[in-house]
Amino acid sequence: MQPFAYRRAADERDAITTATAQPGARFIAGGTDFMQLWKAGLSAPDLVIDISRLPLDAVTVRPDRIVIGALSRMSEVADHPAIRRDCPALADSILASASPQVRNVATIGGNLLQRTRCVYFRGAALPCNKRLPGSGCGALDGENRLHAIFGASGQCAATHPSDLAVALVALAATVRLRGSSGERVLPVADFFQLPGEHPERETVLGGGELIVEIEVPRSAAAARSRYFKLRDRASFEFAVVSAAIALDIEDGTIRSARIAAGGVGTKPWRLHDCEAALAGARLGEASFRHAAERAAEGARPLSRNGFKIELLKRIVRRALETVGEVA
Amino acid sequence: MTASDERSPPRIEAALKVTGAARYATETPVEGVLHAALVVAPIASGRVREIDDRQARAVAGVVAVLSHENAPRIAREGVFIALQTPVVHFAGQVVAIVVAETLMQARRGAAVVKVSYEELPAVTAIGQAVDPPFAPRTAGRTATDSRRGDPESALRDAEVTLERRYTTSTNNHLPLEPHAVIAAWQGDELIVHTTSQAVFAHRLAIAECFGLAVDRVRVVSKYLGGGFGTKGGAWLPVLLLGVMTARQIGRPVKLELTRAQMFTLVGRRQETIQQLTLGATRDGRLTAIVHDTLAQTSTYGDYADPVGTPARVLYACANVATSHRLVRVNAPQPNPMRAPGEGPGSFALESALDELAHALGIDPLELRLRNFADHDQHTGLPWSSNGLLECYRVAARSFGWEKRPREIAALRDGRHRLGWGMASACYPVYRMASEAAVRVAPDGSVKVRCGTQDMGTGTYTVLAQLAASILGIPLARVAVELGDTTLPEGPYSGGSIATASFTPAVEEAARQVCRRLAELAADDPDSPLHGLAADRITIADGYLRSENQSEILADLVARAAPEGVEAVARAAPEEKSRHSSYGYGAVFAEVRVDPELGEVRVTRLTAAYATGRILNPLLARSQFIGGLVGGICMALHEDTVMDERLGRVVSDNLADYLIPVHADMPRFDIHLVDEDDPHLGGGIKGIGMLGTVGTAAAIANAVFHATGRRIRDLPIRLERLLPD
Repeated sequence: MQPFAYRRAADERDAITTATAQPGARFIAGGTDFMQLWKAGLSAPDLVIDISRLPLDAVTVRPDRIVIGALSRMSEVADHPAIRRDCPALADSILASASPQVRNVATIGGNLLQRTRCVYFRGAALPCNKRLPGSGCGALDGENRLHAIFGASGQCAATHPSDLAVALVALAATVRLRGSSGERVLPVADFFQLPGEHPERETVLGGGELIVEIEVPRSAAAARSRYFKLRDRASFEFAVVSAAIALDIEDGTIRSARIAAGGVGTKPWRLHDCEAALAGARLGEASFRHAAERAAEGARPLSRNGFKIELLKRIVRRALETVGEVA
Repeated sequence: MTASDERSPPRIEAALKVTGAARYATETPVEGVLHAALVVAPIASGRVREIDDRQARAVAGVVAVLSHENAPRIAREGVFIALQTPVVHFAGQVVAIVVAETLMQARRGAAVVKVSYEELPAVTAIGQAVDPPFAPRTAGRTATDSRRGDPESALRDAEVTLERRYTTSTNNHLPLEPHAVIAAWQGDELIVHTTSQAVFAHRLAIAECFGLAVDRVRVVSKYLGGGFGTKGGAWLPVLLLGVMTARQIGRPVKLELTRAQMFTLVGRRQETIQQLTLGATRDGRLTAIVHDTLAQTSTYGDYADPVGTPARVLYACANVATSHRLVRVNAPQPNPMRAPGEGPGSFALESALDELAHALGIDPLELRLRNFADHDQHTGLPWSSNGLLECYRVAARSFGWEKRPREIAALRDGRHRLGWGMASACYPVYRMASEAAVRVAPDGSVKVRCGTQDMGTGTYTVLAQLAASILGIPLARVAVELGDTTLPEGPYSGGSIATASFTPAVEEAARQVCRRLAELAADDPDSPLHGLAADRITIADGYLRSENQSEILADLVARAAPEGVEAVARAAPEEKSRHSSYGYGAVFAEVRVDPELGEVRVTRLTAAYATGRILNPLLARSQFIGGLVGGICMALHEDTVMDERLGRVVSDNLADYLIPVHADMPRFDIHLVDEDDPHLGGGIKGIGMLGTVGTAAAIANAVFHATGRRIRDLPIRLERLLPD
C-alpha cells in the first residue's frame, strides 16, 4: 500500500496529457479492481488520475452500431433496453459478472483492464512473471485448475477474467483509444495481447492512452447472441468456462458464426475451428455436435485443467442448441 | 414462527449492531495506541538466517521491529509462540512484528523488512509424509481409538460388505470480523480488548505467560463478528504476541490480522482421508463398522478432529472399530472448526450408508430406521434423551420423502435432474461449570452478568430471556453484561457448550433473587405481603403476589433493599454422568444438477433437530441455518488450496476461497422437535454445531440420486460430475 498523489482530471485532454507526462501514473474510474491491486501491493502508482467524472458514460444507439462510453457503469449497460434487445450476449455477460454492488460502480473500460485472478499473481510473494518478470510462473506446474488451455506461454498461463470481453469478441466489437498522439480503433480481440515473453503486458494500450468507447455492430446475429457461463458458485465468481455466441442465420442455414470463450484463454478466445465448422451448416443437432467437438482444437491443457476441454465442448454445444432453438 | 412470538424475541443487541453503536474489539478507543503489522515467512520449512530491519526502522512512524533476535521469551505448554527461535515451521509463520504510530506506517515498514532464510526440505502434503502416521493422544475430547466386538470377524461373515475411501478438504473458519487485540499495560496491570471466544481461558493463559496474577489481567470481548472455533485456542499464539509487543514497547498496541493471515495463523479444519468399511445383513442391519481417519497436523502440535464419533454412537452395531492417525505437514496448525470431526466424519459415514442402501435396494431412511441405536453402545450408557426417530419422521414428512423414486436420475426438470438425499446428524452435549449473577435494581430493572461471549448467535438475548422469564418481567427491563473477565466466570463459546452451561447458573441465580425478594417482602412490615409465607409468594408481571395481596416489585426493592438484590450462582455438570447425551438431527437435501455441464445447486434443505429445551426458536432456527450453510459450503465450495511445491496457501482471499453467496442458498425448512431431557441441568443441548453435521453427505447423496455419480471427495466441483 504505497501512498499516491491523487488528481481529478479536468477533462479528457488533461487526463491524457498528465498520464503521458508521468509514466508512474494510473487512471482510476470505478476502482473496483484497482483498489484490490493497490492494497495487495500489485499496483503502486505515484499518481492516480481520477477520470470517473469525464463525460464518457453515454450509451448511444446508431443505425449500424451501439456506442458505449468507456465510463458507462456495468449495471447501466446491462440494463440498457437497446443493448438487451440488440446484443443480449453483452447484457448477459455483464449480469454474469461480479455482484450488483460491483456492477453499480465498475466501468466498461475498467472491466477490460481488470487483471487476472491467477492466485500466483494475486498472492503476495508467490512466483509470477506477470507481477514480477523473471520470478517464474507458479501456475504452469502448480495449482492451475482455473488456468488457460489456450494461449499460454512458458511464462504465463493466467486467464483473462472478463466476461464482458468475451461477449465483445463474439460481437465483433471495437475499442476506441485516445492518446497523446491521436486516436485509434481496434477490434477488441486485438486489444488484448498473448503473454508470450512479456506476460506483464496484457493489452496494446500505450502510456497515457485512454479507452474512450466501445462500439458494437448491430446485426441479426448480434440480436440473437447469447452468453453462457459455468462457475463454482451461483454468483459473484469468475468463469470456469464460458462462451459467447452469435450466429448469422438465413433460412435454417448458418451463414457465419462468431464464438468466443472465456475462462480458457490467456485472452478472450475466438474458436475459429468451431466457427468454420458452422459456416454454411444447417441448423440442427448434428451440426452443433460436430462444431462443438472442434471447440477445443489446439488446446494445451496443464496438469489440473484438462477437464476444461470437455467442458468447453459441452458449453459450446449447449450454447448452439439454445441459440438454434430460438432461431 | 414469527419475530413477535413470545418465546422468540429478536436479538436484543441487533439495533446496536446495525447502527454501528456496538463496539467491536478493534474499535475500542485507547489513547496512544500503536499499530502492529506482521512479517510472515514465505517458506514452508527452514530457519531465519538474518533479519535486516534497517529500512523498516527508517520508515516514518515506525517505533520498533521485533523478531526472534530481540523479542522477550515467553512460553506456554502446547502452544507454539512465534519469535522465540529462528525456526520456520510453515509458510505464513510470523517472523517479525513492525510497530508504528499508524497502521499504514506499520504495514509499510513490514513490507521492507528483509529476511533471509535457510530453506529446509518440507513435507507439504499428507501424501509426502516421510514418517509413518502416528496416533495422537486424543481425537478432540474423545479416545483416539475405539473397539467393540470383533469387527474383523464380523466383516468376514457379513452378507454384504462395502469398503470406501472418502476425503474432505482443508477449510478455514474465516469469520467476517478479523481477529484483533488491543493490549494496554498499566504498570503490572493489563487490559486486553480482543476477539475472544473464551475470555477466561485467554486471561489465564496471558496471566501465566507473563507471570501475572489473574486478577491483574482483564480480557474484554463484547461483540464478535463470528468465531466458528478460530477465536479461542487458535487465536492465543498471536494474541500473546500482541500482549508481548505492548509490554516490550511500553505503550498500548493494536494488532489486527489481515484476511490473508487468517488462512495461516489461526487454525484450520484439517483435511481427512477416511477409510470406511461396513458389514451388513442383506436386510440392512449393520454388523460391522470400521472407520479409520488419516489427517494432517503441524510439525509442532498434535490435533485430531473426533472424526470417528458418528461411527461410534449413531447406529446400533455390535462390532465397531475406529481410529485416528496423523501425519506431520509443514502447514498451519489445525484446530476445531464448525462441527469438528462430526462434520467430516458424518460425510463418510452417511455417504457410506447411502451407498449401502443403494446396493441393498433399501430406502436410505428405512436403512437408518433399521439401525437406530436404543442406547449408546460406545459407552454402554442409556441416552439422556434421543429424539432422532422423531427428527426422521418430521423432516421426512415435510420434505415429501415418501415420494422419492428409488431409481437414479428419475426426477427431471428439462435439462436438469433433481436428486434427493438425506443423512442423520448427532453432536455430543458438552457442558462446563458456569457462574452468573442476577441483580434487581431499585427501579425494578434487572441485570444479568455472565463472563461468556456472544459470537453473534444470540447469547445476549437468551441470557436476558432466562432472567426475564423467572423474574416475570418484560425483556426490555433486562440488561446483559458479558464478555469481560470482571464478571462472574462464564463458559467459553465453542463446541456448542455455552448456552447449555450458563443456563442452569442464570436460572439458579434468578430463582435465588426471587426467593430473596419474597423473603424481603415477608419480612418487611411496610409490605402488604408482610407476614405471609415467603415460599408462597409468586413473582410475575412486575408484582409479588400471595393470597390476594400484592406489591409492585420495584417499590419493594426501592424501599427495602435500595442497594438492589443480587444473587450469584454457580452450576456445574455432574462429574461422571450416568447418561450419554447428544443432540440429534435429520437433514434432507434436494439438488438440481445440470448433468451435461456439472453444475450443482442445492434447492431445498429440510431438517429437523432434537436438542433438548429450545430457549428461543427464532434464534435457534437462525443458528441451524448457519450450520446448514456451513454444510453446504463444505460440500460445494470451501477448499484451502495449498501449492504443494511451495507449501503455500494460494487461495488466501475471499475471491479465490469460495464461500456460498445468497444465490447459492436453498429454501430452508427447519423443524425443532420437542425434547425434554430430565438428565441435563437446564435441559439444554447445544445447537451451534449440529446443522453442519450430515449436511455435506445429504447433498452428495442427493447428487448421486440425481446423476448416479458418487462423489467421495469434497468439495464437489463441476468437473467431478463430467465423465472420467
